[in-house]
Amino acid sequence: MLKILLLFWVLSLQIFLPQHTHAAGKEKTHLVLTGSSTVAPLVSEIARLFEDSHPEIQVDVQSGGSSRGIADARRGLAEIGLVSRDLKENEKDLKAFSIAFDGITIILHRDNPVKKLSNAEIVAIYQGKIKNWEKVGGHDAPITVINKSAGHSTLELFTAYFKLKSTEIHPDVIIGDNAQGIKTLSGNPDAIAYVSIGAAALEAELGTPIKLLPVANISPTLENVQNGRFPIRRPLNLVTQKKPTGWVLRFIQFARSKDVRAVIQEQYFVPLPE
Amino acid sequence: MNRLAPAKNEGFAGFVLWSVAAFIVAVFAWLMADILIHGAAQISWDFLSTAPEKAGRRGGILPILVSTLLIMGVCLLAALPIALGTAILLAEFTPEKSAFGRMVRRALDVLAGVPSIVFGLFGNAFFSVYLGLGFSILSGGLTLACMILPLLIRTLEAGLRANPARDRLAAAALGLSYGASLRHILLPGAAPALLAGLLLGGGRAIAETAALVYTSGYVDRMPGSLLDSGRALSVHIFDLSMNVPGGDQNAYASALVLIVLLFIVNVTTAGIVSRWRKTGLAI
Repeated sequence: MLKILLLFWVLSLQIFLPQHTHAAGKEKTHLVLTGSSTVAPLVSEIARLFEDSHPEIQVDVQSGGSSRGIADARRGLAEIGLVSRDLKENEKDLKAFSIAFDGITIILHRDNPVKKLSNAEIVAIYQGKIKNWEKVGGHDAPITVINKSAGHSTLELFTAYFKLKSTEIHPDVIIGDNAQGIKTLSGNPDAIAYVSIGAAALEAELGTPIKLLPVANISPTLENVQNGRFPIRRPLNLVTQKKPTGWVLRFIQFARSKDVRAVIQEQYFVPLPE
Repeated sequence: MNRLAPAKNEGFAGFVLWSVAAFIVAVFAWLMADILIHGAAQISWDFLSTAPEKAGRRGGILPILVSTLLIMGVCLLAALPIALGTAILLAEFTPEKSAFGRMVRRALDVLAGVPSIVFGLFGNAFFSVYLGLGFSILSGGLTLACMILPLLIRTLEAGLRANPARDRLAAAALGLSYGASLRHILLPGAAPALLAGLLLGGGRAIAETAALVYTSGYVDRMPGSLLDSGRALSVHIFDLSMNVPGGDQNAYASALVLIVLLFIVNVTTAGIVSRWRKTGLAI
């Protein structure tokens, strides 16, 4: 019995191993992309479209964070790195190609009379120093603060722009994704939340009773996110170590083309300006 | 009067113990109910038999299920023989107090406490980059094997040591070779420990996320070979709930599948080991 088990072990290892060599005749060209977990789902979808029109190519997307994208692109472990922010000064050796933008804004219920909030007021509300809408020009009603749960990139973007620490925020409701935030807010006229502009604009268009507030007097439109006037925004970048050529170039061109606009919007990001 | 029943003045302690136990059951029930309520509606044959679409919001989990099972298979195939060998060496051929034995045991205990992300980075550096396996099911499975080895070895060693001395003496008195007594008496005697080790290790492996993101990877295509990258269920659940807006429904459904899978693995392992215990290795 022991012999049979051993034999089985050795055999099963051998059955598994040669599989990749016997398909060598039509070996596909592999493109490896690694990096930001925010960009990875979007790029996976873009990759699927790319593979559909180029069957000889296989695009493998790996997640693991923006800094991993930078490191892997530098070391050559990945043809393209995924980075969900602008490149820092010491990363300027890499070439960055934006494929989409992500912006977040404050949303209120449509029935809330408050038209705008200053940055200081938003900070005070999220720190729990302003607890009633009356103080910022609304009804006499307590403010329901909706915050994102830890680990969401929108939370990081929000706290970084308003210079808040996540420990300072005392939320009444903690939500996961944008859709949940919009749903919670549309059922609670006295709530305040921040969500991705793409998701909020889409929902407002569909008739959900929410309104998007300007930040620092810039109105939260997709155009303002696209042209960079809206302040809470970041690009989603593909980065390469060298000037891209061949398949890498073709993939980057595809990811920046009109063909992927629908996919980008589906993921609630803002496409590049046309 | 039943000697084991608590006396009256133990009423309070009894109450505390009962409430602690009830609390644990309640937490488990709550967790299960939450996943069942949110996930059960999405489960269908289509969900189990199609590929994910729209970053996992739509479609099913078939390639992910296949990758998960392959990763588990590689993990157990690699870990079991090594664990058996090391445990036999430690329990049978190394005196308990020897410096060598103590050193190995200490090393294993330290390894058992290492966070899985460290194994992930090690697996990435060693299997994926140094050995050139890349992001692949093989890298993932071997990394998980490294992760569960300490647990498997230590439980198995404890199981072997727990065999009563009279069994060894009886076997020796009957003139059984060492190999025969190991196969027919000592290993079957350690079967419950092996079962416990497999359940703990297998459970830890199948629920692993951090170690797999860096080794078996994120690609949700159907794997063509063990050298392809394949997304594990736990990685899929994490991605859906954290990075994909609108992915919560399918995250719940995938979590339910993972729990059912874990349950099936547990029941099968228990079945195999208990049968092995009765019959010995010579079935």
